Amino acid sequence: MTGKTRILMSLIYAAFVVYVFVPLSMMVVMGFKDSKFIGFPIKSWTLDWYGRVFQDTEVMSVFGYSVLIAIGSTLVSLLIGTWIAVLLAGRKFFGRALIFSLTILPAVVPGIISAIAFRIYARLLGIEPGMMAVIWAHAVHNVPFVVLVIVARLSTMPTNYIEAARDLGADPLVAFTRVTLPYLRPAMIGAGIFCLLLSFDDFVRSYFLGGYQPTLPVLIFSKLRSGMSPEINAISTIVIVLTAVLGVWAERSMRRMNGASR
Amino acid sequence: MITDVQNQQKQSSVSSLASESGNAGQGPGDRIPFWGRVSGRRGYQALVDFLFASERRQFALLAGIPFIWVLTQHLGPVLQMLYVSFLDAYPVAVGAQTHLTLKHYLLFFEESVYRMPFLRTMTYSFALTFATLVIVYPVAYFLARHVKRQNQLAFLLLLLIPFWVGEIVRTFAIMILLGNNGAVNLLLKSLGFIDRPIPFMYTGFSVSFGVIYLTSLYMLLPLYSALEKIPASYSEAASDLGAGAWTRFRRVTLPLSYEGVASGCTLVFLMSTGFYAAPVLLGGPSTTVFAETIAGFFHVAGDRWPTGAAFACILFLASLTITALFMKFMGRLSSRGRR
Amino acid sequence: MKPINTSRRKFLGTAAAASTVFAATPYIRTAYADTGEVNIWTYDSFVPESFRKQFEKDTGIKVNIRLVDDQGKQFNLLAAEAPNPTVDIVTVAGHRFLQFIDSELLAPMDSDRLSNWGNLNPIYTESDWATINGHKWGAPILSGAEILAYNTDLVSAEEARSWDVLFSEKYKQQTAYIIQDMMSIVMLYKGYDGNMVEYLDDPEKAAAIVAEARDFLIDKKDLVRKYYDGGAEIQQMFINQDIALGHAWNGPIAKLINDGFPVDMTIPKEGSYGFVYTLNIANNAPNADNAYTFLNALLASSEIGASMTSETGFISTYKDASQHLSDLEKKSTSFTDEELAGLKFFRAEANEMKYSLVDPAVEQIKAA
Repeated sequence: MTGKTRILMSLIYAAFVVYVFVPLSMMVVMGFKDSKFIGFPIKSWTLDWYGRVFQDTEVMSVFGYSVLIAIGSTLVSLLIGTWIAVLLAGRKFFGRALIFSLTILPAVVPGIISAIAFRIYARLLGIEPGMMAVIWAHAVHNVPFVVLVIVARLSTMPTNYIEAARDLGADPLVAFTRVTLPYLRPAMIGAGIFCLLLSFDDFVRSYFLGGYQPTLPVLIFSKLRSGMSPEINAISTIVIVLTAVLGVWAERSMRRMNGASR
Repeated sequence: MITDVQNQQKQSSVSSLASESGNAGQGPGDRIPFWGRVSGRRGYQALVDFLFASERRQFALLAGIPFIWVLTQHLGPVLQMLYVSFLDAYPVAVGAQTHLTLKHYLLFFEESVYRMPFLRTMTYSFALTFATLVIVYPVAYFLARHVKRQNQLAFLLLLLIPFWVGEIVRTFAIMILLGNNGAVNLLLKSLGFIDRPIPFMYTGFSVSFGVIYLTSLYMLLPLYSALEKIPASYSEAASDLGAGAWTRFRRVTLPLSYEGVASGCTLVFLMSTGFYAAPVLLGGPSTTVFAETIAGFFHVAGDRWPTGAAFACILFLASLTITALFMKFMGRLSSRGRR
Repeated sequence: MKPINTSRRKFLGTAAAASTVFAATPYIRTAYADTGEVNIWTYDSFVPESFRKQFEKDTGIKVNIRLVDDQGKQFNLLAAEAPNPTVDIVTVAGHRFLQFIDSELLAPMDSDRLSNWGNLNPIYTESDWATINGHKWGAPILSGAEILAYNTDLVSAEEARSWDVLFSEKYKQQTAYIIQDMMSIVMLYKGYDGNMVEYLDDPEKAAAIVAEARDFLIDKKDLVRKYYDGGAEIQQMFINQDIALGHAWNGPIAKLINDGFPVDMTIPKEGSYGFVYTLNIANNAPNADNAYTFLNALLASSEIGASMTSETGFISTYKDASQHLSDLEKKSTSFTDEELAGLKFFRAEANEMKYSLVDPAVEQIKAA
């Protein structure tokens, strides 16, 4: 790479970081505003909103609930999504195009419709509204995203990897777990992050399939009705800090695991 | 004794998992690998022999769960929606008779007012997908090619932080950034560039700003994972052969990243046809999108569910067709690129 | 609206109560098993937290509240659960009754079972919209009005006396309104019945009136900055100075006034429409008896009504609730007699005809 392109590229990256973080910093700043509404000018500052959030155990329990749902649905989506992707990326079979379009379905049905359809379908299947129903709806909705990402990665995998493993006597299952799966790892991490985000940010499905315990977006929506108050910004800021801590912890422990095995 | 073996197994399964993360597909070295030991067992062998005895059985094993899942979980709710779209009334009042009808579909083709939001959605989605690609490609490229490998994950995670804030909260943050009395206008005014605020909000600009914010992430990840695995040596080789930066990009890097471009664009296109909150909150009087029209049928009055469902089916069919065409096109492009 | 402005004492109390409930959940489950629970769908801060606590303590009935944010979603959710809903009490705006009743989602309300019914102002309980098919369907708790809100630094009170100002060139691109609601107001502004009850027998005239209102709004489309939906949006537009004036519900604007923002509201001389939020018992409610117990307790004192008003910005339907409000709260939730004379309630009788005309008209305005 020439030095010029490198500088240009890093400038573009920096501009993108600014684009992504300026609204975020707006949000964080407004969490300290001493008023019932966000926006300029800020006449005085306060920590009261944070005080309220920490004293209100509801917000924290709602956060925990949303995290549980996100993790649960992500695990299901990853399992099923990878499975479908391996099937679709494998040899041709009759109806493959059909299965592929069916796989993509949940991603293209508009949110409100899919939520209502899920609600009606849940009753058909006898699933009670609540945590399991939300996990189920999020999992189904997120499968297409996993499949798209994993298929893209699989399509670039040299077939001779698997052939080599099979030549060395590995059965298909071993070849899959020892060769394909490790190759898919980066894609699976990416897809997993997608799913976590999609689930964590989902409002309609959580609303229609949830019980009396709200998820974070549902809580925020109901609070929003009485105005966009700095309290919502304080909640969101805390959520960001918590997820960042969780993320760093996950990355660290992953590294430690890697280090220990070496 | 038995517990001992189990312990060992557990340990080695952890270590084999861990080592997999480091080096793709190579054995973990001197230790007897977990899978090696498992596959040595007689019971396992018998099971494998049975399961993988024939191609057909192998395929049934691989395809069983996906088929069942896709048919019951993906198709079920949609069939329900399709069914509702043909009903003359829904929810069905107790004891009432329902009839099948095509009138909700005909409404779309008869009433020109619905065509405009539909076409607008398609145009926006196209334009925004393309814009997102152009904006995000250099970012993904920089991440994958110019950042040291061990730092890439950290750089990537950094960009993901803002997305943990809900869509609504982010959208309101954009409002106080772009409003007449928002951060940008205040800054421009204090620097003396403007006297009167520039009305950014409730225009095509504010919608694009908000939507690209949302879609860029879904473009970034596939692009990054495609670019990340292109060996640097390829473009070095091209450089040795005398190719300039632009030629190297056009002839080497770009063709090799087509899969990432295809899956990123598909994701973003599909998502942007269904976007609701950002266009509704950031758009002006003349930027109504089709998802808003559809949601209107579910919000305003209860007896218009079937119309909403029919319109959703139309949108769904259209986006699926476009996606299929696009995938076909990209497939052709990338196979030509490889040759 | 939100607890934000209410006292710290209440907030701390809530937190303490919440943590106790949390720690004691297993115990409380069994304790409540005898007397049961009541499930409520309502808007944020419509049921005061202190009241909820007291009620649970006094009766042993556990109150489960599910916060909703929109009438349509509530309808969809209830329709999806029918005919055996999980909910006992829902919150419906008076003029949306008919839709819920027609779909058999609500049970008639037996006001004889509510000994505190008389604490409500008869303006609301005995109003023409309140009785449908010979039954009462809900207990009115808060009332709202469609008003003209304006930034007092930019628009004079004199200008704001008429809806004209919303369509004047002077404030081009500085106005906003909820377009569905604006259709009714424009009909009233043009001298027609925005409820369309008068034209039930004359559908052609009804169609002509809606077309006139539609063409008017299309003609004025280049003057408007935004067709919005939610209260939070108009609050933000005022704060960001994206608009100088707009049509709104009184609740969100009252909250802006109470926060010290230079905004005021009026019911213009051409008149406007009002609506009432009612608590209703769902058809086949699983705990109907508890629901009546809850409603009766809620209606017991005007202080409860006042606390709903101070948290939501809407007008109380309780007799004498204003005694318990601060001066600013009183000012932000009251109108002059002259203004109130022009206020009519939304009515549901002609809704089917009205919305079959208005909904497509709204689409046409948006597409124009």
